[in-house]
Amino acid sequence: MKIVVCIKQVPATTAEKRYTDDLRLDRASAEAIINPLDEYAIEQALRLLDAGTVDEVGYLSMGPEQAGEALRRALAMGGESATLVTDPALAGADEWATAAVLAAALDKLAPDVALMGMASDDARGSLVPGAVAARRNLPLLSYGAELALADGQARIRRLSPTGFDWIAAPLPVVASVTDQVGEPRYASLKGIMAAKRKPLDTWSLADVGLSAEDLRSGALTRVTDARPPEAKPPTERIENVSADEAAAKIADWLAARKLV
Amino acid sequence: MSNDIFFLAEFADGAPQRSALELAAGATELAAASGGNVVALAYGPGAGDGAAGLGAHGVARAIVLRDDAAPAITAGPAAVEAVRAASPLAVLAPATPNGRDLAAALVGLADLPAFGPVRAVRVVDGIVETEQATLQGSVVTTSRPVDGAPQPSVVLVLANTFTPTEAGSGTAEVSRAEASDHPFTLATIVESHPADAAVVNLEEATVIVAGGRGIGSAEGFGQLDELAAALGGAVGASRAAADAGWVPYQLQIGQTGKVVKPALYIGLGISGAIQHRVGMQTAEHVIAVNKDPDAPIGEFADLFVVGDLFQIVPKLTAEIRRRKG
Ligand SMILES: Cc1cc2nc3c(=O)[nH]c(=O)nc-3n(C[C@H](O)[C@H](O)[C@H](O)COP(=O)(O)OP(=O)(O)OC[C@H]3O[C@@H](n4cnc5c(N)ncnc54)[C@H](O)[C@@H]3O)c2cc1C
Ligand SMILES: Nc1ncnc2c1ncn2[C@@H]1O[C@H](COP(=O)(O)O)[C@@H](O)[C@H]1O
Repeated sequence: MKIVVCIKQVPATTAEKRYTDDLRLDRASAEAIINPLDEYAIEQALRLLDAGTVDEVGYLSMGPEQAGEALRRALAMGGESATLVTDPALAGADEWATAAVLAAALDKLAPDVALMGMASDDARGSLVPGAVAARRNLPLLSYGAELALADGQARIRRLSPTGFDWIAAPLPVVASVTDQVGEPRYASLKGIMAAKRKPLDTWSLADVGLSAEDLRSGALTRVTDARPPEAKPPTERIENVSADEAAAKIADWLAARKLV
Repeated sequence: MSNDIFFLAEFADGAPQRSALELAAGATELAAASGGNVVALAYGPGAGDGAAGLGAHGVARAIVLRDDAAPAITAGPAAVEAVRAASPLAVLAPATPNGRDLAAALVGLADLPAFGPVRAVRVVDGIVETEQATLQGSVVTTSRPVDGAPQPSVVLVLANTFTPTEAGSGTAEVSRAEASDHPFTLATIVESHPADAAVVNLEEATVIVAGGRGIGSAEGFGQLDELAAALGGAVGASRAAADAGWVPYQLQIGQTGKVVKPALYIGLGISGAIQHRVGMQTAEHVIAVNKDPDAPIGEFADLFVVGDLFQIVPKLTAEIRRRKG
């Protein structure tokens, strides 16, 4: 049983972000990390590996060459091998193009479970897992708080409007998990050393059987404007007053805005 | 190709969810600009019985994708058939897990441009234009489909982007979608564990009183219930409070919880981490009570009260009750 975890390299949450003149995110200038939600997917896969439920964990990323660093970091947490799909034609890829490329690469890697994070920090569409499943003609199990594998089936525990459900589908599947699967492990020094010797393949677009024309220059959408958010009025502060006074002032503030 | 505006309408127990009514209002607005009709793609338990009622909200036609309790993604193949047949200008989807799953099915199966989650969408000179806050809210972008992109544009819409209209008297013409058998239909619910107590749908609340690690215990949330009741609102939480088991995860606000946009959000004992902020920063009014004068939430709240919540909250509740009479 084999899991391939799809991870995306994203700008660090705290890094200053810039847009280039052609309105693309300037990925070269920002500190890059593994998309935090993908670390939970890695953790879920490694827990199943630790438990002996799966016998192989690999990683897949699509991005610039620099994204190889994210794959090395994942390998330092555990797992055997990694694949990076990188191609100049993929700069500015949107979720549709990303899904097309990942789907083609996953067809070659043929895992029992293609596991993803629930969303990427920068795009936040949560569309890639479902679009990959659609293209690969496989069931989708999304937003799992836990993934279980048994009897040729994958199951996820997923929040319902009031409680939770277990949802099942026959393998192979595409699945995504949330930050409820458990806190991601840290890479040990030993893991970091071992990761340097693990195989990391680099594939071009042609290697996964796609051409630049198939991907319409990487996107069906384009950004026509990027700007800072509207400035908010400055924060009003209430401090160094008694609790009675604070309560009265909050109530006044609410009343002035017709909120009570 | 048509100028029609489709939207995903989720049902539960035969009634449209608030997201369906919001998107009906949004689709009506867009259709007025595009010169097309409003068509609902209805799914979820009781969608078949309830779909005609969407006519009261300006919906001309409703196509029922599925109306059983199966996972929403099982309606994906039918949604694709309906959209392929009509080639509308746009499909609006709620930016909820179910809405995103169905939107992803459309994007992956029909090769469509996707936008969102957006905080505004409009039709300008026949072209779909969206507005999105990205990169943890640090940048606002405007996007459009590339020239010659296939139709429709699939747009994920955040809760409370549109306001539902008052119900009128119309009836939507209802049809059933063609069945279709992509493996998406193989997902089944094998166990269901509803909670003992009802959990509110936070996305519907206009006032939210949210508690964080500073609340300290499940019992501590009792005073939030009282303040919320006095204000006619609902209780929400940070992930720290949900992780601690003080409240169910359904009440979590933030990147991996609900994205809410109430008229009033009151954060109590919440530091305002970026992952929490992205779930509530579009609230119209934000009040925070925190004993740390340097808490990050103090940098973006409209009113920041430095003090001990255990002292202030009961007094505030009493004061609001007194003023309401
Ligand atoms: C991938 C990822 C996703 C995440 N998603 C979410 C998410 O969706 N939602 C979310 O909320 N978080 C999320 N987080 C976690 C987030 O980073 C923070 O850890 C979390 O929001 C902190 O919760 P908190 O503010 O309640 O706790 P803390 O940061 O510990 O803050 C508690 C606050 O309470 C104040 N306080 C304590 N006692 C009192 C008192 N008596 N009176 C007044 N104030 C008091 C303290 O001064 C402090 O500011 C996510 C993290 C990751 C990595
Ligand atoms: N470029 C990429 N390379 C590898 N995995 C990706 C990429 N983009 C998205 N994913 C996966 O898809 C998930 C959802 O991303 P998104 O749809 O962009 O919110 C992420 O958490 C990743 O697991």
